[in-house]
Amino acid sequence: MTAAERPVPYSTAPRERRTAARGGMLLTFVALAALPVVSGQNGYVLQVYTQTLLLASLALAWNVLGISGAVSLGHAAFFGTGAYVSALLSTIQDLSVWITIPLAGVFAAALGMLAGLICMRLRGAYFALATLAFVEIPRVITTNWDNVTQGSLGLVGLPGLPVLHWGDWRLDMAASSTAAYYFVFAYAVMVLCIVGIIQRSSFGLAFQALREEETAALSIGIPVSALRLLALSASAFFAGICGACYAHLVRYIEPGLVYGLYFSAIPMVLAICGGRFTILGPALAALVIYPLDQFVFHPLLPAGHEFLYGLALVLTVLFFPKGFWGYFGRTS
Amino acid sequence: MLSAVVVSALATGSFYTLVALGFALIYGVTRNFNLAHGELLVLAGYTAYWLWKTWALPFVFTFPVAIVASMAVCLALQRLFARLSEPLELNSIVFSFGIAILIQNAMRLCFSGNYRLIRIPTLNHGAGFNALPVSYGQLTLLGLSLGAIALLYLFMYHTYPGKALRATIQNREAAALAGINVAAMGILAFAIGGFFIGLAGPLFGCIHYLYPATGPEATLLAVTLTIFAGVGRLGGIILAGWLLALAESITVLYIGSSWREMIPAALLLGLLALKPRGIFSDDGR
Repeated sequence: MTAAERPVPYSTAPRERRTAARGGMLLTFVALAALPVVSGQNGYVLQVYTQTLLLASLALAWNVLGISGAVSLGHAAFFGTGAYVSALLSTIQDLSVWITIPLAGVFAAALGMLAGLICMRLRGAYFALATLAFVEIPRVITTNWDNVTQGSLGLVGLPGLPVLHWGDWRLDMAASSTAAYYFVFAYAVMVLCIVGIIQRSSFGLAFQALREEETAALSIGIPVSALRLLALSASAFFAGICGACYAHLVRYIEPGLVYGLYFSAIPMVLAICGGRFTILGPALAALVIYPLDQFVFHPLLPAGHEFLYGLALVLTVLFFPKGFWGYFGRTS
Repeated sequence: MLSAVVVSALATGSFYTLVALGFALIYGVTRNFNLAHGELLVLAGYTAYWLWKTWALPFVFTFPVAIVASMAVCLALQRLFARLSEPLELNSIVFSFGIAILIQNAMRLCFSGNYRLIRIPTLNHGAGFNALPVSYGQLTLLGLSLGAIALLYLFMYHTYPGKALRATIQNREAAALAGINVAAMGILAFAIGGFFIGLAGPLFGCIHYLYPATGPEATLLAVTLTIFAGVGRLGGIILAGWLLALAESITVLYIGSSWREMIPAALLLGLLALKPRGIFSDDGR
């Protein structure tokens, strides 16, 4: 099949640049896979990169919705719900973390469906404002349901990540930070692959169509409303799993943190800076911006280091509206 | 009891109106959603706090400084907002969200994360009406917001620039065809918006604690009132402010104070879902 016949979104970038980009991707993958070996006993580096990959997954999850043209300012609603669902089920119901993490995704997806139904007729700016308000609802409910959630005190001493068994071979991911790193790495790669597959399928083309011209998309028979709901709940599903992983990695959550501005802002900032109409962009932005924040700006300005995210967002909107990867990667 | 609740709701609602006016005006004229609104307000509050605390300036005199400072910041921001491309509303949201993060962290750096309050004891004293439990602070809020609305009304209906502003709110293209300099109107809107932010900021610092992360709360309030009243209906904002404050008081009274935070959010969601063009709009959506 020639390039012109491929039913996938085409890159506008020249062939040499695409080859370079693929090489870069492979190199990044290898570097990330080798990181625990290279960083040796430096626990802090590993911890930062575990968090980086978690935020990369969150940004990719955000972009499942973002690629269809919508901007959400409230993904903390799904992140926080995922975190709380998994934390509560694993402590109160004593379920295995292997089960509670996917369940957290399911609950978050249901919440995403609810948000989608409320915001059914909203587009663009109004949708964004609605998500800004929506995040308050699970937050206030979680804070007030204090006989179950401990309210604003938060939950402490959560179970860590699960133990992997394979015959005699045993890997305790709660005890080993290297194992936890690979767990999050595997999740990030999985989300990336799923996003890639979705975006190159006919679904991806439909998302693209409804992003560019909704009326036209509707007129050729694309079920616009159903697709919007699907995009939002899929995005919420993956964000909820990110929240659940966060809860079991950090083993402490509180409403002000997991439903806070930070987890709403971060995926949006990363996805827009990386290029919200690209597949890889959000993950790449996470790989660049979060370590930059933690290794350079945090030691310099312990109080205001998060200004970096604001600055990156402002500069992107003003000067690189397509995002970093949008300029030489494959835009979908 | 009931009269106290109503009085306090009226005073709080008037304050909400002051908080929302700048946002509503800037959105009406330029179609820019300024999500950094709350942060600008808190910044004005910190300016007043700093003058009041370190320079021992009487509270009343902090207003002119806060107003001039926030007008300057708003005019500088306007230069950046003017560079945004279409879709303007969405891009302004994303852009101003970034500005909000920037200002929030700048405040964290300059003023630390501690809670600050401008304590003016006289404001809490009763104004001496036996029948009505009103404090000086509540009277000030009522007077200031009604005064500000009246001033804005006079400006919008009885001066040429005001009428031009209203024309721009109603229809940008038609206003431009009638010879109104729409770009200049945008600058004017940001200047007036800055004025109201500078007016509301110091008040925010004396009835609400100041801390760097409190901006989004004020922003959400401003968004809710603006959507409630509908684009350009500045008179509706004061009604919206009172209704919201009343709804909050009732919630606090009958359900519990911890549910209060959900009221603006739930109201905004309901409005957006049912009447995104404002409660006074006649079209069904």
